[in-house]
Amino acid sequence: MPEPSPSPSKGPSRRSFLAAGLVGAGLALTGCAPSGRSAAVSFYQSKPEVIGYFDELLARFRDERPGIRVAHDVTTDLSAGFARSAPPDLGCSNYNFEIARFVEHGALSDLGDMPEADRVNPDLLPLIGLTASYPGRTSVLPYSLMVAGVLYNREIFDRHGLEVPTTWSELLDVCEALAGAGVTPIYATYTEPWTIGQGLFDYTAGGMVDVTAFFQALAEQGADTGPDSPVSFRNQFREPVERMLTLTRYVNPDAANKGYGDGNLAFARGEAAMYFQGPWALAEIAKTSPELDVGVFPLPMTEDPADRKVRVNVDLALWVPEMSPRQEAARELVSFLLQPDVVDTYNADNLGFGVTTDAPPVTHPALVEVQPYYDAAQFYLGPSQLVPESIPLHNYVQSLVTGADPDTVLRTLDADWARLARRS
Amino acid sequence: MAIHAAPAASRTAAAPATGAAARPARRRRVDATYYLFLLPTVALFTLAITLPAVMGVVYSFTDSIGFGEYRFIGLTNYAVLFTDPAILSSYGFTVGFALVTVLVVNVVAFLLAIGLAARIPARAALRTVFVLPMVVSGIVIAYVFSFLFSTALPRFGSALGLEALQTSLLANPDLAWTAIVVVTAWQAVPSALLVYTAGIMSIPDEVYEAASIDGASGWRQLRTITLPLLAGYVLINVVIGFKNFLNAYDVIVGLTDGGPGTATRSVAMTIFSGFQGGDYAYQMANATIFFLIALVLALLQLRLTRGRVAVR
Repeated sequence: MPEPSPSPSKGPSRRSFLAAGLVGAGLALTGCAPSGRSAAVSFYQSKPEVIGYFDELLARFRDERPGIRVAHDVTTDLSAGFARSAPPDLGCSNYNFEIARFVEHGALSDLGDMPEADRVNPDLLPLIGLTASYPGRTSVLPYSLMVAGVLYNREIFDRHGLEVPTTWSELLDVCEALAGAGVTPIYATYTEPWTIGQGLFDYTAGGMVDVTAFFQALAEQGADTGPDSPVSFRNQFREPVERMLTLTRYVNPDAANKGYGDGNLAFARGEAAMYFQGPWALAEIAKTSPELDVGVFPLPMTEDPADRKVRVNVDLALWVPEMSPRQEAARELVSFLLQPDVVDTYNADNLGFGVTTDAPPVTHPALVEVQPYYDAAQFYLGPSQLVPESIPLHNYVQSLVTGADPDTVLRTLDADWARLARRS
Repeated sequence: MAIHAAPAASRTAAAPATGAAARPARRRRVDATYYLFLLPTVALFTLAITLPAVMGVVYSFTDSIGFGEYRFIGLTNYAVLFTDPAILSSYGFTVGFALVTVLVVNVVAFLLAIGLAARIPARAALRTVFVLPMVVSGIVIAYVFSFLFSTALPRFGSALGLEALQTSLLANPDLAWTAIVVVTAWQAVPSALLVYTAGIMSIPDEVYEAASIDGASGWRQLRTITLPLLAGYVLINVVIGFKNFLNAYDVIVGLTDGGPGTATRSVAMTIFSGFQGGDYAYQMANATIFFLIALVLALLQLRLTRGRVAVR
């Protein structure tokens, strides 16, 4: 840091210079405090793709309710916000383990008395409860749901006379047929661990294991989890992981060098027939090939077609912190956002599935294929979403597909789970 | 840098105090202005560094998740810490990585400094070029190199038919760390180079002149003049470098994100994962241990460099 060196005779005197400096330092310090307790409701929503979308929604809200001031907060770190007792007044965020902590410690207020809570699709409630719950409270209201399966290139399937597989053996046949015809069956991107966790790992496990029952039992078992406990990753996940490794024989040979961006590009260019990504990738793929005919099917993991399930995650959920001094105004905004025409339009525009009983079905040409599974509640939460972030699950999965011994990795996972349970 | 400034400050602060005790009559009145100048810095340092650090240590004895209520659970976090293979392996990786990187950085920087000290054409321009990596942020460097390792090198390898180059170095659990060493070294060499250049420039020409009159060869001069006179600078570079490399974070996040698997997870990454994952108090205990290690290193540095640096 260069030292300021004011000339001794000219300019302000030394003492006034000092006083100015102290005032400046004082201002800098107050600048660190949570900025002005003004009346504006802070609305936290940081999904990058839809920041502009919500800006427009908030503008509409301001027109309808001129009495309430709203500010769109896209940057706050939630952990820090709660830690210094100044969380946003209304959150609209991915419902994952970060939010789970706030739910479980009762940091979010009860929204169960709002009329909107009665419109939530009852099939979703067990999933929301599985991620986190607080006794007697409706801590979050779901806003948008992502339904994911295997993205496949319909044109490639047609060209080779292939049908969407409905059983595990049909899936292997499809892979064999494609590989035999010189087409890469599955495009994988191993450099980014999350892409394997949410895709290959979640789809294979979710298609075979009763995810809800497994994680409930695991939570009860806690610190007793180990290789000999009735429920463990080593016991229940062994088979799915082996099937996952079978599928990795059909991925692009350079998967180890490829990331999410490479995958979207390659799939868009028709370089592979299948791609294990959620609907979020559709928009990226369309940037390269807007006309590409893409479909979605649930990964069949058993020999019974009726076992097929899709992976879902609550992409956006609304919550109002207990600490917020502006809960009433925040609830008004919740009501506005959950009006059928607002929430349904959001989901239609952003490839989400509706979360209310009165929501219309999806219209996107790829996603219509998985609507029946959603309607029949044939879905599961991705297991990778249910393991706390302090256990590096995605990294473990990455080590599996790059050659680590499954037994060792699953044992490590069990040991990590037990250790985490022991100290929390 | 802060560690550097600290001994100097405490020495100047201590000197008048002892002087005052010995000769109270000649005690000089210290202008209050000096204290006023110090005040903002001391206040900021206390508020922004000392206080949070002390609070962090307190939290390490609790089961806090970062907000809300918590209980004191004694040394449980520490006890679990020392049996956690993930934590232990992150320490193993970090220390090994720091040792290798320190070696690579100092050998390269030293050779470059010697080369740049010679009267070669375009010396100033070269010096500028070599210092450039210092001004680019670590995460940017990491993403650029990640592209080189994952895309450019494999393509190059395929074109030449070299099997070994076709798979990214970053995807190899046994070798990914070498890529991190290369990139970290690329970024860290400039500052070490600057220190060595300063050291070489501080050696008076007369010494070399006398040596050449006595018939000493260039190699001999390097071995018996340059090296011994630079010993203090080597020590500074090694200790400071080691301390910095222990904190490895951004380059690893950009290159491997701790992978493949958990092969390249550094201590800093493990600590940070606690904030997002709700493992706050546990990773605070980890951070406390890590801080103690850094503290021991800092004290070691002070001890070793005292006197050496002021060799002339």
